[in-house]
Amino acid sequence: MATRVDTLEPVPLPEPPPERRLPPREWARENLFGSWFDTLLTIVFGLLAAWLLYRLGRFAFVDARWEIIERNLTNLMVSRFPRDELWRVWAALVVLAASLGFGVGTTAAARRREVEEGRAAAAPERVSALRRAGPALLLVAALLWFAQSFQATVLTVAVAAVGAGAYFLGRRVALRGTRGALVVLAGIVLAFGFVMAFDGVGWEDWGGFMLTVFLAVGGILLAFPFGVLLALGRRSTFPAVRAVCVAYIELFRGVPLIAVLFMGAFMIGFLLPQGVDRPSLVTRALIGLVLFTAAYVAEIVRGGLQGVPAGQVEAAQALGLSPVRITTRIVLPQALRNVIPGLVGQFISLFKDTSLVAIIGLTELLGVSRNITAQPDFLAQGLIVETLLFAAFVYWTGAYWMSRESQRLERRLGVGER
Amino acid sequence: MSVQNGKRMIELVEVSKWFGDFQALKGVDLSVDRQEVVVVCGPSGSGKSTMIRCINRLEKHDRGRIVVDGIELSDDLRKIQEIRREVGMVFQQFNLFPHLTVLENVTLAPRQVRHWNKAKANEKAMEHLRRVRIPEQAHKYPLQLSGGQQQRVAIARALAMEPKIMLFDEPTSALDPEMIKEVLDVMEELAESGMTMIVVTHEMGFARAVANRMVFMADGEIVEVGPPEHFFTNPREERTKQFLAQIL
Repeated sequence: MATRVDTLEPVPLPEPPPERRLPPREWARENLFGSWFDTLLTIVFGLLAAWLLYRLGRFAFVDARWEIIERNLTNLMVSRFPRDELWRVWAALVVLAASLGFGVGTTAAARRREVEEGRAAAAPERVSALRRAGPALLLVAALLWFAQSFQATVLTVAVAAVGAGAYFLGRRVALRGTRGALVVLAGIVLAFGFVMAFDGVGWEDWGGFMLTVFLAVGGILLAFPFGVLLALGRRSTFPAVRAVCVAYIELFRGVPLIAVLFMGAFMIGFLLPQGVDRPSLVTRALIGLVLFTAAYVAEIVRGGLQGVPAGQVEAAQALGLSPVRITTRIVLPQALRNVIPGLVGQFISLFKDTSLVAIIGLTELLGVSRNITAQPDFLAQGLIVETLLFAAFVYWTGAYWMSRESQRLERRLGVGER
Repeated sequence: MSVQNGKRMIELVEVSKWFGDFQALKGVDLSVDRQEVVVVCGPSGSGKSTMIRCINRLEKHDRGRIVVDGIELSDDLRKIQEIRREVGMVFQQFNLFPHLTVLENVTLAPRQVRHWNKAKANEKAMEHLRRVRIPEQAHKYPLQLSGGQQQRVAIARALAMEPKIMLFDEPTSALDPEMIKEVLDVMEELAESGMTMIVVTHEMGFARAVANRMVFMADGEIVEVGPPEHFFTNPREERTKQFLAQIL
């Protein structure tokens, strides 16, 4: 039997295979012109792509009449929001930038410290903050281009400066991970305060991209914990809890989102006891989005829960951990990590589905995009293409940014795994 | 039936267990004294694992009594938790928590269940990691370690709760041959230090060296119990002889 106990040294990490890098010319020959059929495909699709790119580029930079966007940029961003209260939005942006910058900086610093002290493994790759913010920067650049406003540019630079300053401040403080997240959460709440509180602007005047972002962020923050609870409830040992959760999930997954939004808009009023004020339309829309999304989140999380081996729970039980601790410390962290792609997919879906609230009379980004084509100056000129293209671009930057961040998160949480 | 003399750590009386229609344990009687090392062997499906998993309630026994360190196992969750605090367990598949570092694996239960502060938990954890000769791996993740190293971490994790009893459920069956020794060495030291242990294993060399008593199980029953010297050289039962002939 076996050798002496000398396997005590650290296991050496395997050497990565040598990277295979071909000069461009050889790469092209190998991958694009390998056989006559490859060559044919390359030429056909190359021409097709070039033609599409040309048409799109020509439209975007030559034919398109972007003045409809230029003149309505404020409309697209905030819709009916009172113009003399716009400072509140800028103040909210400053707070958000500060809390986000601080949160990111402090988490990065805490992590770096852990790596330096050998308490954590280094991230597999370093991504510069600039690249991480890529899609968001693209959006901001486009917006400033359309705004062509000195004031807006200065304010944007100021917001960015505050964010950067908070980032460097955060790097010197180095709070542990969850506290960094709390700072961001506090920032979000405070930003709200700036818009709503002190004779601020009520829900009825929210609109445009601002409303889109609010519904998406609020929806994600509320639907996620609710969905996790539903998923846990569906696996509960209490038959009553299980039945309620199953009924809820199956009901909301079986109904179209539009129907849920309608029900939220018109039925919540009937369900409330008399004398209680009906919540605003925005609140009702948010409730509808959360109720709907939570059902999907629950099923995604349940898939993750099933993927955690029974031995994990047994080991935790044998150590004497309580059922609550087993769930929060052992099962959920592993389950959630495994379903990040599905969860983020659902959140991206929610972000885009906020456009459906137009149906109950709210004017978010897509609603404004349609409405402005009916302005006297632009009526019946077929400018819907420009406005829809703009809206699509804005949605895309948000969705793409979420997608990239989720991949980053997966890689980071995957350290030392599989 | 022996009397309670204060030295008794584990007592199983007429314990039976069914999985559906299949009876996995058929009235098992076994008692283990303090500092005793009992090695359980037998063909697969004989109920060895089920028996020791009943002791800390990973499986619920359907009939009979189980008393651990004077506490009778019942449906009372507090009693179950009390027993689990006193009984450490090591599994065939290690079952380390992959999302936590080695150190976090070892300190989790002492911090959450025993409410030790971080410094004390870390200090004790490093003690146990040294004991299983693996302190330099404290900040790695389990899957970065070899199987033998993982199993030694699992032993340290169980020891960190300072249990009075350790249960081993085929701790070397999932290991490559060259890693079995390093785990058995650690277990041997643990036995010498006076830990009360029940070990389900087919490592007969280990059993001969360490066991105070051998238990042979087949078909959900304890067929033969005896000191290793008799057990290996002169077993009474025909089934024991057949089994030993197969594995020795």
